[in-house]
Amino acid sequence: MMSRNALEWYFQRITGALLLVLLAAHFWVEHFMTAPLRRGDLTFAVIASRISNPAWQAIDIAFLIVALFHGLSGLRNIILDYGRLGKRAAGAMTAALISIGAVWAWWGIAAFRRL
Amino acid sequence: MRYSLRDALRKYRWQFSGMVAWTIQRVTGLLLLAYLFLHVHTVSRLSQGPAAFDRAMATFHSAFFKLLEIGLLGVVVLHASNGIRITLVDLGIGVGRQRHLFWIVTVGAGLLVFLAGAIPLFLFAIGKAG
Repeated sequence: MMSRNALEWYFQRITGALLLVLLAAHFWVEHFMTAPLRRGDLTFAVIASRISNPAWQAIDIAFLIVALFHGLSGLRNIILDYGRLGKRAAGAMTAALISIGAVWAWWGIAAFRRL
Repeated sequence: MRYSLRDALRKYRWQFSGMVAWTIQRVTGLLLLAYLFLHVHTVSRLSQGPAAFDRAMATFHSAFFKLLEIGLLGVVVLHASNGIRITLVDLGIGVGRQRHLFWIVTVGAGLLVFLAGAIPLFLFAIGKAG
């Protein structure tokens, strides 16, 4: 059984590696793939046609959740590194970051509801 | 054992890049989290319909935002290449050669990937390619 810290370290590396792949793909898909994109014309219509594919929806939602996990977990590490928080305060901070992450993820996912 | 000035400098230099690399990861990480907030804020306008979204996107067509976009790529690549270096060291690869790894992976490979993305983005922006 891995310790909690080792598990967090492990998750941060795994999500980091995933983001490397997802971000490279995202960059290609949004900036390079077609001529209008290379001109910077990323319009509602362009996104709607891509997002109409459920596979793309799943990829984008997973991407957002992985990015939020990696980012908020990193922020948590930074806060914990200052060493000013007691055990209860650290727990409350973690709970707050998880709530922020959940709202943030929903905010992004809800953007697809009219596509 | 004699502790020469050269040893002292070498030690100082590694600590220097170690500290820089550590700070880079934190600062770029926080910047990217802030960017993710702005990004979701923009994307969330999709739910307001085509007109509202395309109006929001039009803001980003200015030269200022094109430049910021290239800057964003720089921040992303720096965080990624430095993250790869950290993971390699954690896996035990390049231990004892951390300073080389910093210059080769974080700076060298990072710069190559950044230029491979930034040069086309710049050419698209000034309309010379695409």
